[in-house]
Order: sequence, then C-alpha cells, then structure tokens
Amino acid sequence: MTGGSLATTSRKGGRAGGRVLSHAVLIGLCFLGLMLMARGMLIPVKAWVAQILLDRAFDQSLLEKRPVKPWSWTDTAPVARITLPRLGVSEIILSGGSGQAMAFGPTLLPIHGQGKVSILAAHRDTHFAFLRQAKVGDVIKVQSVSGQEQGYRITGFQIVRRDRFAYPRDPAHRLLGLTTCYPFGATEHGPLRYVAWAEAS
Amino acid sequence: MPTLPLPGKSGSRLLLGLCLLASLIALVFLTSRLSASDVEADPDAIGSGTLMLRGKGAATAMPAMRLGTDMNVTVSGQIARVRVTQAFRNSGDQWMEATYLYPLPDDGAVDSLKMVVGQRVIVGRIKRREEARALYEKARDEGRKAGLVEAERPNLFRNSVANVGPGETVLIAIEYQAPVRQLGGEYALRLPLVAGLRYTPAQTPVADAANVTAPIAHPKLGKALNPVSITVHLAPGFRPANLISPYHRIAVQHDGAEAQSIRLADGEVPADRDFELRWRSASADPTVGLFRQTLDGDAYLMAAITPPTREPDGPVPPRDMTFVIDNSGSMGGQSMDAAKASLLYALGTLRPQDRFNIIRFDDTMTKLFEESVAASPEQIALARRFTEGLEANGGTEMLPALNAALEDRTPQDGRFVRQILFLTDGDISNEKEMMATIAAKGGRSRIFMIGIGSAPNEYLMRRMAEAGRGTFTNVGTGEEVAARMTALLDRLTAPVVRDLKVKVDGADLDLTPRRLPDLYAGEPLVLLGKGKALTGRLTVFGLIGDRPWSQSVDLSSAKDSPAVARLWASRRIADVEAARWAGETDDATADEAVAQIGLAYSLVTSQTSLVAVDETPARPEGAMLTREELPLLLPAGWDFDVLFGGQATRTAAGRSAQGDLPPAGEAEAMTLPQTATGYVGLIGQGMALLALGLGGLALRRRALRRERLA
Repeated sequence: MTGGSLATTSRKGGRAGGRVLSHAVLIGLCFLGLMLMARGMLIPVKAWVAQILLDRAFDQSLLEKRPVKPWSWTDTAPVARITLPRLGVSEIILSGGSGQAMAFGPTLLPIHGQGKVSILAAHRDTHFAFLRQAKVGDVIKVQSVSGQEQGYRITGFQIVRRDRFAYPRDPAHRLLGLTTCYPFGATEHGPLRYVAWAEAS
Repeated sequence: MPTLPLPGKSGSRLLLGLCLLASLIALVFLTSRLSASDVEADPDAIGSGTLMLRGKGAATAMPAMRLGTDMNVTVSGQIARVRVTQAFRNSGDQWMEATYLYPLPDDGAVDSLKMVVGQRVIVGRIKRREEARALYEKARDEGRKAGLVEAERPNLFRNSVANVGPGETVLIAIEYQAPVRQLGGEYALRLPLVAGLRYTPAQTPVADAANVTAPIAHPKLGKALNPVSITVHLAPGFRPANLISPYHRIAVQHDGAEAQSIRLADGEVPADRDFELRWRSASADPTVGLFRQTLDGDAYLMAAITPPTREPDGPVPPRDMTFVIDNSGSMGGQSMDAAKASLLYALGTLRPQDRFNIIRFDDTMTKLFEESVAASPEQIALARRFTEGLEANGGTEMLPALNAALEDRTPQDGRFVRQILFLTDGDISNEKEMMATIAAKGGRSRIFMIGIGSAPNEYLMRRMAEAGRGTFTNVGTGEEVAARMTALLDRLTAPVVRDLKVKVDGADLDLTPRRLPDLYAGEPLVLLGKGKALTGRLTVFGLIGDRPWSQSVDLSSAKDSPAVARLWASRRIADVEAARWAGETDDATADEAVAQIGLAYSLVTSQTSLVAVDETPARPEGAMLTREELPLLLPAGWDFDVLFGGQATRTAAGRSAQGDLPPAGEAEAMTLPQTATGYVGLIGQGMALLALGLGGLALRRRALRRERLA
C-alpha cells in the first residue's frame, strides 16, 4: 500500500520534472533556431555592406593613385573592379592575402605565370551568384586600381573537381577565370567547381 | 477519448516524446554541421594553408643523360665532410648539357668543385654568381666542357654540365661540410637525397619558382634512375656505439678502435628518401668538443660543450608561462584550429606549481588574467573555455600583445622560469619595432615562436626566437600539432642550464652567437669563434637549477679540423641573412656582404657560384648541343597520379561543359578554394529548429489544456 502511493508520487514528481525539462529544451530549440538564422543572415549582409565600403575605397584609390584600405583593420586591399554590364554586376576584387577576404568580395588567387592568366574566386551564393546567369559572349570589364581598363569576353564554362583544375601556362591571349562552387543551389560543400573562362578582346 | 486506440494522456505524451526525440536528432545533426561550418564560415582559407604545386610536369621518356651519385662522408669529431660525386653519362648520340637539382643540409656549405673529364681534372673557381654563369655559358657555346654549381636556396643546389659527348662520362665532384647534430648524447648525420617537390605557399609571389623545381620521373621509368651509393667513415673521436640507420639497411666495418666504415647493404639505392645515421659514444657521453683551424693568419674555433644532465631527483623549477595567440583574420580556417589545438595541448602540460596567462590579439587585444595566475584546475578550465571560444577575425597588431607579454612585474624573481609562447602565422609588418621591443624589454623572459600554417615569415620568427633566447617551431597542419608540441613542451619543462655566460682568458675571440640561449636536456652549447691566436682558457658559466655551474677548457687542446673556418663563414652568412630579414640591412648591403664572405672562403652562396671550365674545345663545330633537365624521383610515399592527375584529366573533365575552353598546352595544376558560404542552408536549418521548438510548445499547451479538462 505505502509502496504503491510512493510510486505514484515519485511518478508525478518525475512527470513535473520532465515537463520543466522538455519546456526548457523546446525554448532552447527556438533560441538556437533564431541564432542560426541570424548567423546565416549576417553573411549576405556582411558581403553587401563590405562591397559598398570597398566601392568607396576603390574610387578613393583611383583618385589618390595608391591603394586605400576600406576599413582600418583589414588585411587586404582592393585591386580591381569587374563589371558585367548585361547583368548589371559590379564587384570590387580583393587581393587574395587572407582567408577572410572572400567574405567581403571576390579575391584574386595568387598564381604562378607570366601574368597572362588571372583567376578570381568568390562564393556562389553571394558575390559570384551571377555566374549562373552568365552566357558565352558576355562582356566583362576589368578596371585595375591603377586605372587601366581591359575588356574580356566569356568563351566557355567548365566544371571540374577542385583538385583537378589546371590553367594554361602561356596562353595566346590574356585569360580571366572566374571560379565558384558548383552546383549553385546546393547547401552542402562539395568538391566541384564552376569555372567561367573569358578571353581578352 | 475512448475512441482513440491509446488513452489521450499517454498519446499526447508519446507525441511529445517523439517531438523531443526528433529535435534531439536534429540537434546532434546540427552541432556536427555547425562545427563543420565554423571552419568554413570564414572561408575557405586561401592564404592560410592553400598550397599550390608548381612543378615542371612529368618526364615520361628515359633521359639520354644518366646520372649516378656517390657520397663519401668523413665524420671527424663533430663535423661531417661530404664529397658528392655525380657521374653524368651520355647514353644518347647527341652532345648534351644536363642540369640536376639536389638538396644539401640547411647548414651545409659547398666549397669545392672538381670536374673530371677522361684523365684530366679541372678545378672549379669561386666567382660572383653572374660572372660564373657568363663563364659557363661562354664555354658551353664555344663547345668546351664546363661545370657550374649554383645555390638556388640555402639548402637547394643545382649542378650543370655542358658538352658531354655521345657515350662519354663526366664526373662532377663537389664537397661540402655540415656540423653533426647532437641531442641527448646522440649524434645524427642526415644526408638529404631527394629535393622533393617544393610547395610554394600561395601568398608568396615567388618569381624564381622555376629555379627550385625540376621534372619528376614518371613511375613507369622505374626506380633505376639516379642511383646513389653512400660510404661513411666515422671517426667521432670516441668509440662509436648504437649505430642506427632508420631508413636504409647498412653494413658496418670496423677500422680500428675509434673508427668504423658504414656502407649501404644494398649497394646502390634509388634517391627517393634521405639517409640518416645516428650513433652514441660507447663510454660516457662526451661533454666537450673543441676544434680549431688556422687559415690565412686567422685562428678559428668551434666549441661544443654539453652540460651535465640534471640529476633526476632535483626539483624542477616552476614556470611562469604566457601564451600569446594570434586570432587575426589571416589565421582563419585550418591555422586557427591548429593554433587552438596547440594551445589546448600546452595548457594540459601545466603543473599546479606553475603560473600562466593567455593573451589573444588581432587588431585588439585581451589578457585572460590581469597578471599570471597559479595553474589550478579551475583556472585551466577557464583558460580552455577562453581558447575554445576564439575566432579568427580582424587585422594583426602584434606589438601591444608583445609588450603585454614582456611586462614583467617581478624581474628579480628567480624562482620562476619565465617563458613566452607565441602562436602566430607571423603575418606582421612592423618587424623592426618587434625586434627592438624584444631587445629592450626581453629581460629574463624567453620567447618561443610557434609558427602556424605555411609561415611566410619564418625568418623573422627565427630571428625573434633567437633574440628572445628561445626556439622556433613550425606547426604546419592539425596532424602535426601533437608531435611538434610534445617535443617542444617536453624540452621546455626543464631548462637545464640558464644564465649562460662565456669568458675567454688570454685570447681575443669574436664568438657567435652573442646572446647565449638556455640549454635544454642533452643540448650542447655550440660556439664558433674567430681570433688572432688560440691560447688561454674558455670558461662557460651558468645556473643548473639554483646552483652555479661552470666548465673551463684549454683552448690549446683543440684538435685540428679543416672545416672550422668555413663553418664560421656559413654561420656569418646566416647572421647576415637574419639581419636582412629583420630589416636591419638593405638588400644591396646584405648581398655584398654575402658575396664577400663567399669569395673569401670559397663558398657557394646566393651570390657566388663555383665554375669549372675546360680550356680545350671538345664539341666539333657544327654539332648540336641538346639540353636536358634530369628528372627527379618522387619522394617515397608520394602518389604520382594524385600530384599530376590535374594535368592529365583536365581536358577530360572540361568536356562536360559547353563553350570553348582555353587551348590545351602546357598547364599548371592548381587547387581551387572552397567557395560557398552555405548561408541559405544555415537559415533553413535555423527555421527548421525554430519550427520544431514552436511546434513542440504548441503540442504541449494542447496536452496541458486536455489534462486540465480531464
């Protein structure tokens, strides 16, 4: 008899405790969800704000004829502006000095060669999202920080594994490669890369 | 209610339980995703560990020029003299020119070149680099035989030989010397046999990358290319014992009580792994090695003094350790993880009697504690949480952190050994100020630099460690953390001798290094000196634990060795290079200083080369000269297909897309960076979690209401 009533009370107590616990877990879930969303949303916002600041710094650099840092604590500097008029795209390219640069803009990958090949990399879901709409024949203009302009025309696209990529050492014309992750809609990181090749015109 | 197969209460409870289970699974899944995206959120680590292969491609055809290498090493005392004879045999029917790239030890110094053509020996002369190349090219174009030795890097050399006739063999013999390494009573000689592939860090624009690369032999050519034979004459000045060769089988022959000859048991081996030989003394470990040489009226001295090993029962002095960790943006990705793992590992080695503090910096700086605290379990747990929460962000302002670390509130306190561990990628611009700060405020602190990632500023870090009387350790990747940090921290646990000072009585000696380091278990103090005469006594003072220790040696007892002057000279070159990297001298001055030393001591340096030219023309006029770069073997364990697959499969993979691709031709392989933030996925997951939580809450409310109704 006594044992039975004890069991009931302890079950009641356990139920109440479980309730408080599950309540806490559910609230925790909501909180975690909000945090993740905020974190996710911060990425495109950061990318967008950085480009505005970079755009200003680039114009300033052109005027002053020396590289101007977009904000005081950055490790990289703007090196060029690329525009793709058909899609209304204009981005400031950063030197590929640090692992963080790509959060702010497309970066110029340091490569070896006679300077006839330039390869840019950016995120498929922020700065290089436009590559999805790019077509053969699209004109890309590159303005360097010293003010020189060079026009390129997209000649083709390529899908490669990230560790199976190669570029010509000594091409006949200057080449510009724009690389980003592939496939475009995916949310996972994968080994494939999308490369748009453009030739100087 | 009774219409339901399950009673209402337990039904809603079941639902709730299912809901909780689902969220738990989601949580587990998410946390794993989170840790993955933490690494990738700051993407993609270009610059912080993305390495590029810059090869010259693969050689698939058997070269016409064949090469055999013989290494003859004489170890006398603590110096190894190595004669490398390379036999270039022309198996084709053309007149040939061949170049071969090969490695030497870091502190090796090439000082002799001989070219053997038939019965004649042509001795190389030391010239300035450009002059040597001009002489070589002139001789080559005129059809005369010529040999050239150039230093492409301090540890990478290139031999060229011109006008080797069909069926002819030309021998190129170079000689170099290097100090034998000594640690814990064990001596080690390492002969690098393979140049390997130079990975050039992505962020260093290396203009002369072509100079340090060579074609790699395709595996189908077999391992028969470039065979090497090795003979070591070991005369260390004591009876050697415990001979070990970890990578090759050896045959040992006794040449008397204190000398042995070591040969490769297999005769000739392919040059695809380094040769290492280790030995000890059969009797008590020697404590003093003293060698001298007189050259052109100057006397040179090399002294290696090993202090007695601390008795095991003596108390280990407590340490006051300050960890400085760089969490600037350039550390993003793998580097930050390696740095954090290193720091966590180090925290685990602290003992209760030690004190510690952590300083983190980017363009801002935080000290974990106002001043160092006792390493109690609570404080260490706090430090672990602090470390785990670090994220790479912002710029690099190292100076305030250095100042904070060097701030010593009790400079006279002899009870604690003050050690500063710097974890950084060394991406610093104000190098001069850093060096000046260490010189001015170093005090009793010892600075240990731990270079994280592909350390572009290795020279500066070495220099800082030297000025701070510590050491430099490079931790490349996450996998290396445990191995490198264990070795470093084991040594740091117990400095054997501190406050070293050297005094020379009766002779005027210019000794290097000037600032003496602490010595750790088994390490000798190696001093190189130059003076007018070697008389009198050299005395080393120091503290072992709290007790003073000193050892005195009679300089006139030094054994003659023909290598000391050149070791001194190559050490001088290292000093000049260090000053160049620290920005103390400009390039032109440093180059000139190196050239002067190279010319005076007949050393191949970045500014001087050895050239040997035959005076009589060999190649008939009109005969063509074919140039050949000899392929290297890939280091053992490397995968040819993985390295060169990029070039081979490029076109095949490329066909899957539309449009014209750049024409196939000579191509450079390259690994592309990670280029997705995955923020859409992140938001989606956040929304899913939120929905789960809200759904669960709604269900609970319904269940509660139902319960109340019941």
